[in-house]
Amino acid sequence: MKLVAVREGLILIALACLPAVGEGFYFRDKISWRSPIPASELVTVDQAKAWADSALWVDARPDDEFAHDHVPGAFSLNEDRWSEQLAQFLPNWSPDKKVVVYCSAESCNAARDVAKRLRDEAQLKDVFVLNGGWEEWVKKNR
Amino acid sequence: MKFSIWRILDLIVGGIFVYAGAIKALDPVQFANNIDNYKTLPWFISVRLAFYLPWLEMLCGLALIFRFLYRGGLSIVGALTLIFIGATVAAKTRGLDITCGCFGHASQHWNFWQHMAVDLSIFVALAALLSAELMRKAARDSKS
Repeated sequence: MKLVAVREGLILIALACLPAVGEGFYFRDKISWRSPIPASELVTVDQAKAWADSALWVDARPDDEFAHDHVPGAFSLNEDRWSEQLAQFLPNWSPDKKVVVYCSAESCNAARDVAKRLRDEAQLKDVFVLNGGWEEWVKKNR
Repeated sequence: MKFSIWRILDLIVGGIFVYAGAIKALDPVQFANNIDNYKTLPWFISVRLAFYLPWLEMLCGLALIFRFLYRGGLSIVGALTLIFIGATVAAKTRGLDITCGCFGHASQHWNFWQHMAVDLSIFVALAALLSAELMRKAARDSKS
């Protein structure tokens, strides 16, 4: 029984490789293989600061963290109150603006998720994720 | 009658895995993000698993439905379910608020206990199917 299960399991494991490789090939240019955020969608603190008034800062952290401190002029936009905060944010956006989304640190996912929703749901272009997030901003602005 | 109950359970559990795999195979980028949310694997592994696991789930689901490579399929989905349960508990203990993405958008707003209830139900069903298979084998062996 055990041997049969192992043999059949190995066959299934091997069989699953075929469509997976095919799908991976199909998606090869549509996904970032080395980092969750493609380099083209990341921006450093220095680059974002250089955009000055053409940058719209979006804070994807929870409300309490935003209330404690945030990038000057940033809008709070997190997934807990998405619809309400998006409605407040959108009137400030214009096609010539670049949107810079950040969350707590490099390891957080909120900025990536909010940036994706801004691109997919709000159809905004030029949406970037701040490399290193709030931690990096604090470090560079001490 | 006894066999038809097991067969129905095969179809239900197999169907769940085919559905869960198909929904993830349609959006591997989202599934890679879901795996990455657990913060247990580096991205380059998460992204490769996101392409592989859905197909493995689908093939194992089909194995249960058609009873082809049945024991292998049963063993793999059992192991996968245990891994999902372990990863969900580990994420909860580390205070991570995650969506497993196990069933696409349908599961995105499930809380921890809903995830656990579904995972444990599937695991119990798989354990029942495995027991039934062992009993069938024992019955066959005793006849021969």
